[in-house]
Amino acid sequence: MTTTVESAIAAVLAGSITEITQRSIFHRLGGLAARQLPELAEAERRRVMSELETSVRLFARNNHAELIAACQRALNGEAISPAGRGAGRGLTKVLEIREEKDIASARLEAWSEAVRIGLSKFTSVKVATAVSELARNIVFYAGSGRVELRSEVDGSAARLEIIARDGGPGIDRPKLDEIFAGTYRSTRGMGKGLSAVKKLVDQFHLDTAPGRGTVVTCMFRGER
Amino acid sequence: MSQELPIIQIRNCLLVSIQTELHDRLALDLQSALMERVRATGSRGVILDVSAVEVIDSYITRILNDIGRSVRFMGADCYIVGIRPAVAMTLIEMGVELDAVSTALNLDLALEKLELLQ
Repeated sequence: MTTTVESAIAAVLAGSITEITQRSIFHRLGGLAARQLPELAEAERRRVMSELETSVRLFARNNHAELIAACQRALNGEAISPAGRGAGRGLTKVLEIREEKDIASARLEAWSEAVRIGLSKFTSVKVATAVSELARNIVFYAGSGRVELRSEVDGSAARLEIIARDGGPGIDRPKLDEIFAGTYRSTRGMGKGLSAVKKLVDQFHLDTAPGRGTVVTCMFRGER
Repeated sequence: MSQELPIIQIRNCLLVSIQTELHDRLALDLQSALMERVRATGSRGVILDVSAVEVIDSYITRILNDIGRSVRFMGADCYIVGIRPAVAMTLIEMGVELDAVSTALNLDLALEKLELLQ
């Protein structure tokens, strides 16, 4: 399997710089664009990099430093990412929730993950709040469980999926109806956590039954 | 790990700056400490500064409402100050109400509303 300079760099720039502009960049690289990566001499690699740096700063709208670093990695033959800006594409974090202090750390993890993938400040706070509600439910009602964060970046779109699982008592039908009707009151919280999360997120799915635990899956989407 | 939030007295008003995670125990301790202090000092108002709090979920909202309600029972006003814009937006979207407390943009304005600053 061989990779040319052009195909390696095109993979990085996809979604950040239009194909037409890319073609003019490769044209300026002349014969270097068609060379195989391993054959590139150090001086040639530097020449390609300085050309790319200028082009990225000129033509890419944002994330210049990140893109330049990704170009450098691609030229070194490492980690050819199809999305260019998606340094952490398809990342999953699993957070164990056992006690009250885990709620705060889950919230912080969720917030930093949302910021990392480029979600807006407001959306990031919503993400942190949703995770706080879900982690709190786990601690209060199930004792322990886990929250998974799955992020995906595709060009200018970012999505963050949150999955909260526990092996607790589950929720029966009548109580579920009360929860989503807003009439449920718990002794410890407000009884509003789940319906609040449902209102915050772009997609919401709940899987629960008495004795079978609870799995809440929800999704945030945003523009980067 | 017993902690206590410091309660500061400004004229006849009590101020608590919340800089740490509010959990059940801490919240209950704060609630009863505030009620004691309101009684002991004859304070007219209690101000809770949440400007350092990045996330307020429905549980924290309940704690704030509970504190507000108990302070009102004592005859004092309870103000929450410094709610961040993103936090306010989130609470609105969640449909969660801060209905047992008053709010003010910052400490100065809360003191003004409590007619302690001229």
